[in-house]
This record gives sequence, structure tokens and C-alpha cells, in this order.
Amino acid sequence: MAFHDGYLSEFVGRRAVLQSDKQPLGKVVDFLVAKPDDTFPRIDGIIVKTPAGRRFSPVRDIVDVDTDGAIILRSAPSQEPLPDDQALYLISDLFDKQIVDVDGRKVVRINDLEIANTGGTLRVVAADIGVSGLLRRLGLGRVSQPLLDRVPRTLIAWDNVAPISDTNPSQVHLSVSGSRLARLHPSELAEIISDLSAQDAARVIKSLDDETAADAFEHLDADVQQSIISDLGEDRAADIIEEMDSDDAADLLGELDEEQRAALLAKMEDREYADELEELTQYEPDTAGGLMTTDYVWIFPHRTTAATIAKLRDIAPETEFIYYLYVTDDTRKLLGTISLRTLLLALPTAFIHKLMDTDVVSVSPDTSAEDVASTIARYDLLAVPVLDEGGHVLGVVTVDDAIDAIIPEKIANSLPRIVRHHRTSRAAAHADS
Amino acid sequence: MQIAEVAPEQRPRRTNWKRTLLFLISILGPGFVTASAGNDVGGIFTYSVAGAQYGYKIIWTLIPIAIALIVVQEMAARMGAITGKGLAALIREEFGVWITLLTMIGLFFMNTFTTSAEFAGIASASEIFGLSRFVAVPLSLAVVFFFVLRVSSKLVERIFVVLSLVYVTYIISGFLAHPNWADVARGTFVPTIDTHDAGYIGTIVALIGTTISPYMQFYLQSAVVEKGTRANGLLALRIDVVNGSILAIIIAAFMIIASAAEIFVFNQAHPKHQITATTAADIAIALKPLAGRFASDLFAFGILNAGLFTAAVLPLSTSYLICEAFGFEAALDCRFSEAPVFFILFAVGLAIGAGLVLLPNVPLVPLAIASQVVQGLLLPLELVLMLVIINRARVMGLYRNTRTANIICWTTVIVVGVIALYYTFTQIAGSPASS
Repeated sequence: MAFHDGYLSEFVGRRAVLQSDKQPLGKVVDFLVAKPDDTFPRIDGIIVKTPAGRRFSPVRDIVDVDTDGAIILRSAPSQEPLPDDQALYLISDLFDKQIVDVDGRKVVRINDLEIANTGGTLRVVAADIGVSGLLRRLGLGRVSQPLLDRVPRTLIAWDNVAPISDTNPSQVHLSVSGSRLARLHPSELAEIISDLSAQDAARVIKSLDDETAADAFEHLDADVQQSIISDLGEDRAADIIEEMDSDDAADLLGELDEEQRAALLAKMEDREYADELEELTQYEPDTAGGLMTTDYVWIFPHRTTAATIAKLRDIAPETEFIYYLYVTDDTRKLLGTISLRTLLLALPTAFIHKLMDTDVVSVSPDTSAEDVASTIARYDLLAVPVLDEGGHVLGVVTVDDAIDAIIPEKIANSLPRIVRHHRTSRAAAHADS
Repeated sequence: MQIAEVAPEQRPRRTNWKRTLLFLISILGPGFVTASAGNDVGGIFTYSVAGAQYGYKIIWTLIPIAIALIVVQEMAARMGAITGKGLAALIREEFGVWITLLTMIGLFFMNTFTTSAEFAGIASASEIFGLSRFVAVPLSLAVVFFFVLRVSSKLVERIFVVLSLVYVTYIISGFLAHPNWADVARGTFVPTIDTHDAGYIGTIVALIGTTISPYMQFYLQSAVVEKGTRANGLLALRIDVVNGSILAIIIAAFMIIASAAEIFVFNQAHPKHQITATTAADIAIALKPLAGRFASDLFAFGILNAGLFTAAVLPLSTSYLICEAFGFEAALDCRFSEAPVFFILFAVGLAIGAGLVLLPNVPLVPLAIASQVVQGLLLPLELVLMLVIINRARVMGLYRNTRTANIICWTTVIVVGVIALYYTFTQIAGSPASS
């Protein structure tokens, strides 16, 4: 194996000759990777365009790279190359294609690939996305060497590259880019998705797991969400919406036409959550009803703090908002609230109804977003409960959703979210069920 | 505990007027918008001068041009819908770096030249209104910068499409001019070719270039991608493309008819008082039957609208396309340091476009028409790239070109290519090929 470190563009297009008699075999046109899911994928062989067609030659058959640039093979390549969907072809699948640079958090185009010879195997180590790569591709690498030395090298280490599954959507390939993209903050991921064409955006979402996709979805604009939903198919779309926060999910569903909404709700596995979402979509988006989440914690008044904390430990990991607990009777009529702080600092044997704050500030479902936000601001709250006319809790509006609703979307997306959440079920968590 | 308010009846989620409005706007699909964009200053000047110089007998060329326009635009729209990628991205992915570089250099050159045609329109309009071009052009540069950087380009596009209804005035003027309809019909359906006149060949190249401008295919395909149309939306898209193309051709035909009736016919009748049709004020005479002594003002308004819009959109979309092809960051909300190439290309395109018009003694109308000739000369090259891509199964799957589309398009390539080569040859040879 005589390849040294370098760039693929330096090898592609070279003549392949036979070791024994220097007989020309054809031109090197591509490089094959059988397992693209490795961190730094190993190159398994080269594709030589011979008079008889494209032929595969394994890397171990490469003897040397000649001084005049020809690649010397031990034996004439005889195997048919693998079909396009069973292997990754570096030139035809990756050269000139768009990828996501996970580290730089943007969509870029591959100009060249850097390869390295590590312990006898040839691996793809980085993607060149810069001007130097372009010049090398133009064959101006040598001519413009002084220039090349001056432009900064723009290489992305391969473990930061997430291919936008393109002409070659093998399953392996997809899961790699999915897991790499999952390293991005959801709002960054959403920004990248917005930069892609509608079809690529759907491809990227498809490669993500439901939870990551849901987190990214929450940050997307309504029109982007809609176009992706129609591309995903109802089953997958329903799975993703089920993972979204109820307020964001309801916003999204509310933007769809009735038929599509009903179809998606019908596909959801968690019936209780589906019913809740359906109710939430009834509210105007810029009112408390439209902003609220149903993912809060309600507790009974006659428990001790110790019992409540124990229960909270069970359900809190799955709940969006736990900093205030809402004390209700068994019809969910609000009796009072208690903050996580009060709960933690109280004696373990103290009863909730002795500790709770009964002077509750609340809003009704049709309170405008501005009024909700100013209520939250005036009373320095993290959230405000939304009550129906009978005083029953319908949901809570958290401070971050209230902010989102009153400041322009662009700014909102760049702000950090204070409430992070990881959960599988979204029904209102209650300590006594 | 206090319950702040009592909830009234739940209201329906959202009123529907917004959606209705969106629907109405969306009827003006990408095909329609692109066709309107084709009626830029270069187009108005080219059609008008063609009518003024050659009369009705040049109208027939619009029929083959229309067929080619529909076929070519449908191809661009289909490629956008099936691949979800812009034409620049497809050229890069299918042909690699070299061809992309050459294409983008050609596109930048051609579009910058056409931008100067737009500024020529702005300068002409301002001079009709009595304002020096040395004031108007820098002023409009500022306006363009403001609109592009501060106002959404989508909004600009909508405003333009509505304002471009001003071209309908040519249809009215065409009727009011009472042309000899028998002559019009003969000119439309009986082809006459005058190979002795190099100017005639040049005019045909300009007509082709301005009607099937290479940048329109890029523009249309990007618009389709952005709209997110898929294979299941192809029928609507095709209808949109055909409607837009036919409308563009009808307006073009009436620009020729009105100019022919008012200028060509006048010149035939008055050999001693020739209207030369080399300035915008001459061309504006075609609107006399409708607007009377306000013809110049109406015409000036039309080219100002077309000029400002295209001058804003063309350098911007050129810059986007080039960055798309090479993978450079490109977005208006980026800082300069994040997307330097994008902003530099945009600024350079605009500056050269405006600068050409301000060169001493530049004849505005011939400059604008020359830019359309360049488009016509480069069109065959673009079509070849499109044809190769659209016939690749790997890219287009079942939506490859049909044989009919291939035949029409290759015929266009060959015919336009031959005319372009012939024209280039006669230009280089220095004299019209007089036999």
C-alpha cells in the first residue's frame, strides 16, 4: 500500500497500470467505502474505468504510485463494483455535495477529501470545503501554491461531517449523520434545516431520532414545519409531534388543515395526549390557551412534602415544567401553588396544604400573549397557570414561551431556553396517579 | 386564591383571510413571476426596437421562441420539483468544479451586463423626467441597496409583479394604434428570413436572448425549490409555466405591434422624417395611441419599475447562485465577515452594472440590446447543461425528458447555436455578409 496522506483529488483520474508489464488498465474514477458509519471510514478499494467497464480493485492490490503519477496494481481489477446503494462511493456520492458541518454549524459543499494512511489502512479523515480545495480541483494546486499557502485551510474533521443523505441513502449512512446532527443544539439544528431546500430538510429530519427531530421542530418556522410534515408521511410525523412540547405541537397542528390534523392525531399512540393536543388547537395561537403547555405537575394537598418529593422524582424527568407544583382537588380545581424551593426547604413531614400559596395569579385561556407576558413580568413568575371559568387548571404558560410570543422570532431563536426537558410521555404529570 | 378572569366561549382558532390572501398570491406562481421578470428593460427595448426597425414581419419569430420558452421553462421547473435543488447546485454536483466555474463566470458576466441594461432603463426614464443620469443612477443604486438589505426581497417581488401590469398598456396601445391586422397576421404566420442584414440576425439573437434569458431558468428553478413543490405539484406548476410564458409572449408581441404601427409604418410613409428608435423617447412613441402626450411618462414609469426591480434582483440572485455552487456562505442577514464572497459579488455586480451606464457618451438603448444579444449567444450552452442533467436517470428518475421535449430542446440548441455562430462570425468578419 503506497498511498501516502493527501487529497483524493490528487489520485482521481490517474492511470492504473499493471505491475508486471506496465500495461495500462484504465483510469481511476472512484473510491469505495463499504462501511461508511466508521468515525473515519476506511477506503476498501478503487474503481478503475477499464475498456470492459467499471472494475473494483481492493486497496491491498495497490503496489505503488509511480513517479509519472500512474497507480500500479498487482493484478488487473476483475470484480464488478458493488451497486450504488450498498456502498459509499467517495467521488460520486460526496464530491461537490452538500454536507452539514456539525462543528461550524452550517451547510457547506465538499470540494475535496483528505485521506490518511493510518497503520496500513487508508482512511477518510477530513472534508475540504475551502478555496484551497477548489483550486486543487481545478488542477491549479501547483501553480497557485504560494496562493494556497496564504488562504486558510478549511478542513472539517470527518467526525464533524454529517452527510445530507443524498443519492446514496443507505441506512447506515443515515444513522451516522443523524447521531452527529443530534450533537447540535436544537435551535442550531433548526437553523441549518431552514437553510436547506425543502427536500433536503425532510431528508435530514428523517435521519434523526424522534426526540431530536421534535426538539428541532419546535424551533422551526411554521411554513418549514408544514412542508417537512407533508414529506415525512403521517406515521413518522405523528411520532415526532408526539415528542414535541404540547404547546409547540398544538401550534403546529393548528397551522395544518383539518383533514391533515385529524389524520395525524389519529396516528398518535398516546390517546390521552392526542385528545389534549386536539383541545389545545382550539385556542388562538397568540392567547394564553395557545401558549400554554399541559405538561406541568399537579399534586394533592393532603400529602407530606417527603411523599410529594418522592413522587416528583419519579415523574419529573418526563415533565417539561416542575419549578412550580399546582395543588388541586380531584377535579383539578386549583387550590394553590407551591414552588420547588418551598418544597425542598420544608420539613419532610409538613403537609402541602399548610405550605401552599393560595394567593395565585392566573390567566384565562383567551388572555392575550402580551397580557400573559406582562403578568409574568409583574409578579416575577416562571410560569402562570391557565384556568377555566370554574377555576380548573387547563395548563401553564412558562416564561420562555411568553417571551417567544411577544418578541420577534429571529431574536427568540437566538436566546437560550431556560426550560430544558427530556421526556417520553407528555400528559400532565400528577403525583397522585 | 384568586381567579383573574372568566373565560368566554372559545373562539375558532384563526380567521381565514390570511390564508385566502396567501392563496391569491400563490396563484401568481413561480412561472408567472419569472415570465414577468423576463419583461425587463432589455426586453422592452429589444421588442420595441425590433418592431420599429423591422415592422410586423419579425413577429413570426415569437412563435418558435414561445415553444422553446415553454419547453425550457418546464424543464427548469421540473428539475426544481424533482431534485429539490437549484440549477447551479445541480451543475456543480453533476459536472464538477471546472464546468461550474466556467458557467458561473459566464453567468456573472452576462447578468452584470444585463444589470447595466436595467440601469440604462433607469437612466433613460430619469432623462425623460428631466433628471440627469448622473444623479438618478447613484440614487437608484441607493434605493436598490436599501430595498435589498432592509426590505424582504419577497415583498419587492410582489410589488414588482403587481406593477408589471403596466405592460398591459402595450396591449391596449397596440389595439388603439389600429394596425393593419392583415399585415400583422401575415407577419405572425408567414416566416421571412433576411440573411443579408446582419442587424436582422442580431435582432433575432437579442429576441431569443431576452425572451429565454439564461438567468430566468436559474431564477425559476430556485423559486420552485424554495416553494417546495414536489412531483405531485407538477401539473399545477406546468400550467403556471405555460400561462406565464404565453402572457410574456403576448406582451412581447404587442410591444412589437405597437412600435411597428407607430414607428415602422410612420418611417415607411415619411422617408424624410425618420424616427431612429435609438433613444427611449423615440421608443415611447409606441404608447402614443393610449397615452397621447403622456406616452413618454408612461413609458418612463414602465422601464423605471422594470429597471429598479431587476437591478435589485439580478445581482442578488447571481451572487446567491455562485455561492450556492461553490458552497460559500450566502445570506442577507449574515455579517460581511461571515459571507464576504456573497456581499462582494453582489456589490461588484451592481457597481459594474451602474458604472457602465455612466461611461461618457454611452448610447443607452444599444447598450441594453447588446446585453440581450450576449444572453442569446450564451443560451445554447446553458441548454446543453440542462439537457444533459435532465436526461440522467440518477438525477431525475422517472421524470427524465420525454423524446418530444428532447427534440424541441435540441432543435432550439442547434438553431440558436447556428444563428449565434453565424452572427458572431459576421461580427468578427467586420461586415455584414452581403452577397
